Amino acid sequence: MATNERAADPSPTILEVKNLKKYFPIHGGILRRTIGMVRAVDGVSFSLRQGETLSLVGESGCGKTTTARCVLRAIDPTSGEILFHRKDGQVTDLARLSQSDIRPLRRDIQLVFQDPFGSLNPRMTIFEIVSEPLYVNGVRNHKQRRERVAELLRQVGMRPEYMSRYPHAFSGGQRQRIGIARALALNPRLVVADEPVSGLDVSVKAQVLNLMMDLQDKLGLTYLFVSHDLSVVNQISDRVVVMYVGRVVEVGTPRELFRTPKHPYTAALLSAIPKPDPSQRGDRIVLTGEVASPANPPSGCHFHPRCPFAIDRCRTEAPPMEEMGPGRFASCHRARELSLVGAGQARL
Amino acid sequence: MVQVEAPDTVPLRLQGGAERPLIEVRNLKTHFVTEEGVVRAVDGASFEIQRGKTLGVVGESGCGKSVAARSILQIVDRPGRIVGGEIIYRSGRAQPSGELDLLALAPNSEEIRAIRGGSISMIFQEPMSSFSPVHTFGNQIVEAIRLHKDASIREARTLAVEWLERVGMPNPRLRLTEYPHQLSGGQRQRAMIAMALSTNPEMLIADEPTTALDVTTQAQILDLLRQLQAETGMAILFITHDLGVVAELADDVAVMYLGRVVEHGPVRSIFENPKHPYTKALLSSIPRIDAENRERLPSIVGAIPHPYNRPPGCPFHPRCPAYMVGTCEKRTPNLVDVGARHEAACFLYEGA
Repeated sequence: MATNERAADPSPTILEVKNLKKYFPIHGGILRRTIGMVRAVDGVSFSLRQGETLSLVGESGCGKTTTARCVLRAIDPTSGEILFHRKDGQVTDLARLSQSDIRPLRRDIQLVFQDPFGSLNPRMTIFEIVSEPLYVNGVRNHKQRRERVAELLRQVGMRPEYMSRYPHAFSGGQRQRIGIARALALNPRLVVADEPVSGLDVSVKAQVLNLMMDLQDKLGLTYLFVSHDLSVVNQISDRVVVMYVGRVVEVGTPRELFRTPKHPYTAALLSAIPKPDPSQRGDRIVLTGEVASPANPPSGCHFHPRCPFAIDRCRTEAPPMEEMGPGRFASCHRARELSLVGAGQARL
Repeated sequence: MVQVEAPDTVPLRLQGGAERPLIEVRNLKTHFVTEEGVVRAVDGASFEIQRGKTLGVVGESGCGKSVAARSILQIVDRPGRIVGGEIIYRSGRAQPSGELDLLALAPNSEEIRAIRGGSISMIFQEPMSSFSPVHTFGNQIVEAIRLHKDASIREARTLAVEWLERVGMPNPRLRLTEYPHQLSGGQRQRAMIAMALSTNPEMLIADEPTTALDVTTQAQILDLLRQLQAETGMAILFITHDLGVVAELADDVAVMYLGRVVEHGPVRSIFENPKHPYTKALLSSIPRIDAENRERLPSIVGAIPHPYNRPPGCPFHPRCPAYMVGTCEKRTPNLVDVGARHEAACFLYEGA
């Protein structure tokens, strides 16, 4: 922990997600009756401290994006609590608020999208795009808005003169900077970033990640970062939540998680990442089978059909989340007895 | 003339011409003429693919890696046109001399159609672009086989089942009666590989085949390609933006930037001793799983230029830390030797 003062810093909590569930009904038959449920998020809990970056990682269908969308209340959760600690110290359960009651809180929680091409309206200038949240929230004075947009563009490393141009004039990395500027317009306290660098080229990805870390240090932002890319997550996070088929399987700092994983799924995920080093070729744990469907998840531990360490108990009994150390959790019956190999170590 | 029937049992690498590359692309130029201007997607690219080996072509978006690969089979989408260069193909299945300039063949000629999907097959990022959604896998694979092989429907079906089994498809017989939408992404990718390999190609062109897949599925597909290459002796041209995948799979690497190959060499030389400033910058800007947490990454300044505003001279000079005023923006560097089978196109090295 000593190597990561940021995570050890006892900042106040800003967001607590407790036993969050989101089920989507499956309709079938002539009467379009509900014939099943997709358990996209099935009992997810985590908490975020002010000023930290918490990442939700996992493969497609693990529920990471659905969780983020529930926090934003872009969709309504089925059950569970999303406790948001407001600046005045009040705690509000976002899960229970109606859409109109939630509006005043929206300035505090903003979103950065994945697709820098789809998320900016091609018919609006950069000024219009970045200043729209200001206008909606009552800043009607044009000059004030221009000044704020200029300041925001400078903050994300772009020239203020660009504000009269349209999105098509910019590259993917620049568009992502514009998206970040828009998200910051209202001085949010929490920024939800859903795969913000997945669509970017390697040389630009590094720039945007560096920018996000700089802005966090400067503005004291809290990030809920959603990604499938563990290398990116390692770069930016203070803590990581690994998800598999709607459930959390492991929580820890990137250092703990990636060097000494406790859940076999985390270990397999780490081992599957192609390393940019030809001398480390081969020697991987290649999982058989595919990610289970959240519409029809396996019994017991969802990971057991693919797990090389599964025992009988795993097939029948879902493992509870156990604390393995301070802030370190894993949900595996054998977490304490297995010694799994992480990244950056000699292979088995 | 090209013959596409080779005895399946003889490993291709033993069929003569062992030293000379299977494919040599020389100074390839493929341009797109649009109303707004000419996009020189590939502008003087040169690389070669050895028999039975894997060449990884790596580069960021707009570097022309896909267009270069499609140029080999002359399947560049309109308004793209191949305007210059040579692609020498030394087929182990052609006449003894067996040297052929693929670009000299008309795009709809019988010769190139026999090669396309026959001795050179291709797989894509999105399997649905190879499969028709309204026909079963069985009908499509059988058709592909019968286009290139003198086989009865029954023989072709047997072969299709065999290939689906070899790519690790569960219940191959049942799969033949299914439609593409009924399978998961990873399984569709396997079916596409089965179809591409069912004609016993000498070379497989793989255009980002694992980019849309989850990492655990990607690991399965990469293992499968490696295993099938060992069994069949085919060469693979693997196109990707992921340097990790290249390090994992390739024997040789070609790094492309704005339509040109800037560095070419054996995979270990490229990763351990990169010579071109672009390759060096690219390698140091990859987020790594074993890096220290929350460390700033060195990044390349600026962005990839818009294709209409291609910089003169060396296309990388505006972003290059080693930019030499008066040289780099005036002339375009050529590939020169910088090590054993290792070439780079940069004025830092003599002769470029």
